[in-house]
Amino acid sequence: MINRKRLRFANRDLPFQLVLLAFGIVTFFPLVLVVITSFKSNTQFYHNFWLPELPLHLGNYTSAFRIIWRFIVNSVIYSGSTICLIAAIASVAGYVFARFRFPFKTVLFLGFITLIMVPGVLTLAPRFVLVRDLGLVNTPFALISVWVSGGLVLSTWLMRSYFESLPQELFDAAYVDGAAERQVFIYVSVPLARPMIATVAMTTLISSWNDLIWPLVTITDKSQMPLALGLMQFSSDFETDWGTLFAGYVISSIPLLCVFAVAMRQFISGLTSGSIKA
Amino acid sequence: MWRAKWLYLALLIPVALLLIFEWLPAFSALYNSLYIWNGGKVHFYVGLEHYERMLSDRTFRVAITNLVGFLFFRVVMQTVLPFFAAEMIVNLRSQRWSYWWKIIFVFPMVVPTILNYLIWRFIYNPQVGLLNEGLKLVGLGEYTHAWLGDPLTVMWALAFVRFPWLPTLQFLIILGGLQTIPKEVHESAAIDGAGFWRRLFYIDIPMTRRQITLAMILTMIFMTQRFDLFLVMTDGGPGYSSMVPALQLFQSAFNFLEFGYASAIGVVLFVAMLALTVINLRVSAGATN
Repeated sequence: MINRKRLRFANRDLPFQLVLLAFGIVTFFPLVLVVITSFKSNTQFYHNFWLPELPLHLGNYTSAFRIIWRFIVNSVIYSGSTICLIAAIASVAGYVFARFRFPFKTVLFLGFITLIMVPGVLTLAPRFVLVRDLGLVNTPFALISVWVSGGLVLSTWLMRSYFESLPQELFDAAYVDGAAERQVFIYVSVPLARPMIATVAMTTLISSWNDLIWPLVTITDKSQMPLALGLMQFSSDFETDWGTLFAGYVISSIPLLCVFAVAMRQFISGLTSGSIKA
Repeated sequence: MWRAKWLYLALLIPVALLLIFEWLPAFSALYNSLYIWNGGKVHFYVGLEHYERMLSDRTFRVAITNLVGFLFFRVVMQTVLPFFAAEMIVNLRSQRWSYWWKIIFVFPMVVPTILNYLIWRFIYNPQVGLLNEGLKLVGLGEYTHAWLGDPLTVMWALAFVRFPWLPTLQFLIILGGLQTIPKEVHESAAIDGAGFWRRLFYIDIPMTRRQITLAMILTMIFMTQRFDLFLVMTDGGPGYSSMVPALQLFQSAFNFLEFGYASAIGVVLFVAMLALTVINLRVSAGATN
């Protein structure tokens, strides 16, 4: 009896499951083929397009890694510093906007959020001239300064609305215990805001990691390229060496894969809660 | 006032950063759209000439037409697909599968965006591409094609890039909306005898209208200003048959050193995006009332 009931439930799910499965297969098929091809030599690839073939050419991975590792290290440094700076600056600014009243507060805050409507493509060319004239071209600062200021717009807004949603009693309790404002911020507010800080970190990671255009115009030195730009370079250098090319593609997906494995739940819930408010 | 001094000090860094790297370039773009400017010393006033030039610029006209078609296609695709996937996932009886499907469909975001474009360049590769090989495999060898090399197929090929991948952000937004519909609403609808389709059109779509609108606006804004897809896959070619305005802006500035004209294109795009967003918000607000 129980079994039959379970079966009926399963049957009700079946059409949905099949459609979702089809979706999944079509989405993942190219990625799977890339992984399969990354173990082949060119002869194997031209001879047998679809199926895996022995022997596996692990050499593809060593030769790809020799080039890709630097881009990955660069990207970790650039995105890492961007995330730390944005988390620190946006928490302070969001806290100040959420918890205090002071002259010109509204004007200042409007100066932040109206920028949401200014598209990056409008500012691209003049910003390049500015960064070039500041002498930042081919330095990490060209990327970090612009990523931080661009990311601050949304992050400050998110942090502000999060701090505003915390109940006043929490702060009152801390004040009664004799905490100074700085202590309240560090020991009460920041720990409470951890979920929102994680959301900010995650969105900053994704957008800086994937940015191609800004590095393309500001970084020409190969040894300083972040991953996205490095991959473009790599793909034209190894255009017809399919095994090495795809091995490089697989290697460059590993860093975010690790983040995803560790912070899977955060990835999903954080991005949803952050974006719904926006 | 003493206290306010500390608050201003705390805001000094972010305000300075935004002034220098956001506001200054934004106003520079507005201002320099009235100038001929090579990004350096050559700089003189031409008034609205760049805007007039845009009206008669054939490349720009093609770019606009391409963008409108591309936007239409992508907005529909990137709203309908995530909506149906989310609808099915939310409707699963099995909570465990529901959870796993979410993870499976968010997973492709670990692949760097540019890799997806490079992989799709391989899919459309005329010699050893996945699409042509697939056609040969199922005996449709005569339909193999240089998909990105033919002006007639290039925009379609680009429109289908990453199909049927669910755009992560839009997917999660719509999923979030569907998950907040109370169970009781669905239960009482079931008691009243509403099937899947009636429920879809009378409950789920109306109740997630805000999320659907947001997903559409986001797709429009992303697609209007992002041109990395076009840059990586075709660079606007063959000829300028896959040109879009943002790519033309990029090429004007960085290939031809016409920073003034690039700024003018930027201003037009900015105004267009603003208008699109306002119209979209109005329409969705009107539909709810």
